[in-house]
Amino acid sequence: MNIRCAKPDDLMNMQHCNLLCLPENYQMKYYFYHGLSWPQLSYVGEDEKGNIVGYVLAKMEEDCEDNPHGHITSLAVKRSHRRLGLAQKLMDQAARAMVECFQAKYVSLHVRKSNRAALNLYTNTLKFTISEIEPKYYADGEDAYAMKKDLSHFTLLCADDEIPSSDSLSSAMKKIEIDS
Amino acid sequence: MPSGQPLPPKENSLFKRILRCYEQKQYKNGLKFAKQILSHPKFSEHGETLAMKGLTLNFLGRKDEAYEHVRRGLRNDLTSHVCWHVYGLLQRSDKKYDEAIKCYRNALKWEKDNIQILRDLSLLQIQMRDLEGYRDTRYQLFMLRPTQRASWIGYAMAYHLLNDHDMALKILETFRKTQMVSAPFDFEYSELLLYQNMVIQESGGVLDAIKHLDMYKENIFDKLTVLEIYGSLYLQMGEYHLATLCYEKLLRRNQENTPYYLMIKEAKQLHNDECVYNMLCGYRKKFPKALAPKRLCLTFASGNAFQSEIDSYLRAGFHKGVPPLFVDLRSLYKNKHKVQIIESLLEMYVNNLTKFSSFDSEDTSCKEPASALLWVYHYLAQHYDYLDDIQKALTYIDMAIAHTPTLIELFVTKGRIFKHAGDAYEAYKWLDEAQGLDTADRYINSKCAKYMLRANLIKEAEETCSKFTREGVSPMENLNEMQCMWFQTECALAYQRLGKWGDSLKKCHEVDRHFTEIIDDQFDFHTYCMRKMTLRSYVNLLRLEDVLRSHPFYFRVARCAIQVYLHIHDKPPTDASSSNELDTENLAPGQLKKMLNKQRKAQRKAQEEKAQALAAQEKRDMHKNRQQVTNTSDEADALPLDELLPEKLERVEDPLEQSIKFLKPLQELASDNIETHLMAFEIYYRKDKLLLMLQSIKRSHRICPDHPMFHSCLIRFMEKLLKLDNIQEEMQLVLNKQLEPILGGMSAAEINSQFLNKHQKSLPALVQGLKMKYKLDNSSQQEVLDQITKLDDSLEDVNIQTCTDILNSLINGEFGEVGDAAEEYRKTCYKRFPLATAFHTDQDRSPMAFWSNSYKTLNETHDNCVSN
Repeated sequence: MNIRCAKPDDLMNMQHCNLLCLPENYQMKYYFYHGLSWPQLSYVGEDEKGNIVGYVLAKMEEDCEDNPHGHITSLAVKRSHRRLGLAQKLMDQAARAMVECFQAKYVSLHVRKSNRAALNLYTNTLKFTISEIEPKYYADGEDAYAMKKDLSHFTLLCADDEIPSSDSLSSAMKKIEIDS
Repeated sequence: MPSGQPLPPKENSLFKRILRCYEQKQYKNGLKFAKQILSHPKFSEHGETLAMKGLTLNFLGRKDEAYEHVRRGLRNDLTSHVCWHVYGLLQRSDKKYDEAIKCYRNALKWEKDNIQILRDLSLLQIQMRDLEGYRDTRYQLFMLRPTQRASWIGYAMAYHLLNDHDMALKILETFRKTQMVSAPFDFEYSELLLYQNMVIQESGGVLDAIKHLDMYKENIFDKLTVLEIYGSLYLQMGEYHLATLCYEKLLRRNQENTPYYLMIKEAKQLHNDECVYNMLCGYRKKFPKALAPKRLCLTFASGNAFQSEIDSYLRAGFHKGVPPLFVDLRSLYKNKHKVQIIESLLEMYVNNLTKFSSFDSEDTSCKEPASALLWVYHYLAQHYDYLDDIQKALTYIDMAIAHTPTLIELFVTKGRIFKHAGDAYEAYKWLDEAQGLDTADRYINSKCAKYMLRANLIKEAEETCSKFTREGVSPMENLNEMQCMWFQTECALAYQRLGKWGDSLKKCHEVDRHFTEIIDDQFDFHTYCMRKMTLRSYVNLLRLEDVLRSHPFYFRVARCAIQVYLHIHDKPPTDASSSNELDTENLAPGQLKKMLNKQRKAQRKAQEEKAQALAAQEKRDMHKNRQQVTNTSDEADALPLDELLPEKLERVEDPLEQSIKFLKPLQELASDNIETHLMAFEIYYRKDKLLLMLQSIKRSHRICPDHPMFHSCLIRFMEKLLKLDNIQEEMQLVLNKQLEPILGGMSAAEINSQFLNKHQKSLPALVQGLKMKYKLDNSSQQEVLDQITKLDDSLEDVNIQTCTDILNSLINGEFGEVGDAAEEYRKTCYKRFPLATAFHTDQDRSPMAFWSNSYKTLNETHDNCVSN
């Protein structure tokens, strides 16, 4: 198992995973839209053969500039790969990127009222809370819970991530520099 | 130069209003103003007005009228850039990009600095990958609008795509200097810097890229990418200490990234598995919650270390109950020694858990939950299934189900065991059982549908899927709209097995159209990404689209289509409904041929009429729908595709030409797959294209000279060369010269016996060798039959598909009249594979239709790689 940021090459396989696992589906263009607008926010989990076994497709809500926040468009883990904690790990990576790259203050998502399993995951494992009910949010008329999770604790974490710079390059490399 | 037909002020202002209406999508009003101009007798043939009227009509869905008006307008005013531009826009909306480019070029002849036309042209050029043209157009835009951001970016990108990195970097750097960092968080500037760095890296400037990052990293917010770039650059430079630091930082962010650990291994220059193992143990300790280092330890450990590692790994998994434990460990099974260790541990667990409820024997106080034994059983079932021990696999899965009859995963595993054992119907039954236990889970629903399709139950599969498709639309339609390729491909394969060639082709073409659509999807991003500044991702998108059909989904569906077209070529459909077979046994061959010809003609005519009627109906419907949607959507310019009609598809005049359309992308994008060239051979063999056959032979030979199907192709090629007596001398010379290294001066018979000798243990190779032996020399029949029907333990690679292929060849008369041999062979296979329905007699059970051709073996091996 391997978790990493999604690349444009992954988008078709994410669509495949989505079609296998979830009732809400999107055409490829919508995946492209995510990947090309917020390249940092979507993550995939893959098995050793490189098959996508789980993903999170995420975006920023653009309409509110003073209160930027992220949104989870879709999150899926194949049933065959449950109980490995993939969903949480995918979400944590996406949330961190939202804060780091887009200063997100919180992240939101929608979940079907009837989807107990997902509701349980979001509430208990991922610590989201219900912010409101959106009546008839889904195409078939079902209501959605709008859920939110505060991301301010990530801000501290991000600050502590200085990057090793080339000041300490070894002499061998300095030599290359002089030669070139 | 303006139009050759200037309008007086009143009409001119009306014309401007048409333009405004068009921009604001008020098409009805636009038409009204156009009418006001055109009804004036002096201006009834005014070119630009006619053109604009046409363009407006196009958006109202009246395509034919649109073309008529635009063309008429253009004829009346050939020097008007408006007319040419409009004609270009019309063609573009029809996806005739090449034509549209020509029109824009003509428009620019009369108005060379028109920004809008130049922009439109540049979009088409990048879409069509006319990179030189794109660069020239971007240059013009740059010169005309040097203050605009997009001018710089587009101009730089054109050079980047042409691999002129120096020029691209010069433009980018000049542009970067003009950028004022306005907000503390400027995402676009951050992306610009990353793009600049990407180009530096691609120019080969490792050190420059590092310096660039050193300089600007504060302004880049994508810290992950910065670290990853640093890491890989340091690694490339041999700066191992710094590289290690980077990857350790990355691990602090994400401990589940397997490549990071492997990069550290690289950076620490660890070449010995034991050292890697020790390193991984360190990380496992550091990140106790992470899965990746634990799992990687198993890959690098051996001997006693492996024994104790896997012991605790398995115990933890069974204790917690982790369903994917087996798939997680499957890749270890390449190592037979590790499999042995795992197996003996599992047997020990079963024993101890049954007796003491513990993984250890009695003296332990640590009792396991009852579910631990269940998970061990489940694992064992998958373990033996993987090792092809169906009997044991079924025993364990039944024990698991007896233990806990409500666990969905168990039924899925049981179904999979039956699938591997060759009983697709029974397999589907168990998936259906699983699906019934949780109807709200789409994953199980999808798996169930897939197994139904494997059992050729297409209607049932569609019905199953309908639980998760939009209401009010047929599931097939909705799945097509959602680009659900796996489903459509499995449908195509099921129809192929059922001999419903037209339906199969329909599904293949639907999937092919998804690929075309996804290539069209990039159009909007050409402008969008330049605005958003997400240029790295954009360039990667362009590169992805260039090779889109290299996706395994395309390969599967293209192979299916090619096989079906080959079949249609070999056995053209004879009857309107494929199920209604003719009773032809009692007819003399001549009579039969005549009758078939006559029938075919009549059918073709009937089909054509039917297709025409349908097409007309379709057009009317389309028209109606369009009118309803025009006011709410600007998608009306989407191209209405020809409807795919199964009857029409299976009766194409030129099935081989059609198959080549599916082959071409494979030749371009899947040329390292031998199957591509084997399929190419089959097509060109039937077209008697000697040089193209030679090409396929040479390419296959380069990839795998021992491939059984390659051998078959080679022998048949040689046979064909012998039979054709009208080969030109020059051609013969070329063939001889090119074939010499492959044939080494041997005859077909010599090559064949050499092949048989070399591969006498491998059944798939034997089959092809023996088929060729009989083909070369019919008198060898008895010998061939004796050898091919032998199925003893000394043979390798014995599988259901190969045996099915042999059985079918016997039945189909590929070895001539064989008497009881086929029935005897069936019985032999039945003993070896008791569950495989392919070897059951008709009375046995399950209404499965079986079908096979010489590709089937290849098919299945490939499918297993893709889908499991």
